[in-house]
Amino acid sequence: MTAPAPTPTGPGTPTATPSPTPSGTGQVPALQAGLAAEHAVIWGYGVVGAHAGDALLPQVRDADDAHRTLRDDTVALVARYGGTPVATEPEYALPFPVTDRGSALRLAVHLEEGAAAAWRYAVAATDDVAVRRAALVALSDAAVRATRWRLALHTSPATVPFPGD
Amino acid sequence: MVAVARRSVLIGGAVGAGLLAAGCTAGGPSSPAPTTPAPPDPLLAELADERRLVAGYDATIARHPALRARLTAVRDDHAAHAAALVTALGPAAPPSSTTPAATDSPGVSPTGSPTGSPTGSPTGSPTGSPTASPTGSLTASPTGSPTGSPAGSPAESPSTGIESSGGRTRVPVTPAAAVAALRAAERAAASARGTAALTATPDRARLLAGISASEASHVAVLA
Repeated sequence: MTAPAPTPTGPGTPTATPSPTPSGTGQVPALQAGLAAEHAVIWGYGVVGAHAGDALLPQVRDADDAHRTLRDDTVALVARYGGTPVATEPEYALPFPVTDRGSALRLAVHLEEGAAAAWRYAVAATDDVAVRRAALVALSDAAVRATRWRLALHTSPATVPFPGD
Repeated sequence: MVAVARRSVLIGGAVGAGLLAAGCTAGGPSSPAPTTPAPPDPLLAELADERRLVAGYDATIARHPALRARLTAVRDDHAAHAAALVTALGPAAPPSSTTPAATDSPGVSPTGSPTGSPTGSPTGSPTGSPTASPTGSLTASPTGSPTGSPAGSPAESPSTGIESSGGRTRVPVTPAAAVAALRAAERAAASARGTAALTATPDRARLLAGISASEASHVAVLA
């Protein structure tokens, strides 16, 4: 929420960790793929929250917060690797009409599956271990959230063998 | 933990051997190559682990039939993982009947290099934060071997947390304890596959990352 705009000089903490390893390739495209997905997911959770109902709101808020944190971290990472972070679109297309709790939950599953696909792509798109690790964590977290939404939907099975496929 | 360290030793060995080989070819007059045999494909250990997980679920379902509905889909995920690893390994994949530790790197000391764990190391992380996951799913392996007494157990399945002896998987007496053991095994497996993904080739990294994420999600189902 706060200050999504990246500062051109980078994330500004004086204690900032070592600059990215010169070795390794593909960091920026990998991270941009994940970042573009995060923008869409955050937009989508606005729709989910509007229809999921009060009982699910805390879960929706937690997921939304996690994605916003990830977005901000990814923006900072892209900048640190010398890229210009992709911006969010003003609007995204919904995959299906969202009108009630059930369709809101299905959208949440859809969003997390999309995030998983992007971050799984990112894992393979770079050989930089630090970026791979970040992408792996994002992929796993998305898979876990997708499973939790499927459980809330009573979808069976609640897991898939290859999240992001 | 032990298994992660061991696996990273395996990977280190493979990489080292690769460098050596490259040095030889670049170096000039083809040496007679009295070298050690090629190290085992690191995916073999991942495959053995997935097969142990399948066996662990089968044994748990056999012991506690009431858990069948809850566990079958997860068990089938692991079967799919194993099948995908077989495909990735190609001809090097051992037949499924010869699963256990035989493939698990004779010659590599399981006690080696506890310091080697690449997962935990923050070195090279360009930022502190995004890699330190909100859930910590990747690095969370403190519960990896809850059964204690690793000293007595064979080097067979420290990473899965599923005890087996003589080819039989021991299943805890109560359903709750059995599920808890599987949950711990899933955490360890997710961590091990994730660690392997960090340094694998792109195709393998994609595969291992997907498996790791699936296993992380299994923990949610078993909660």
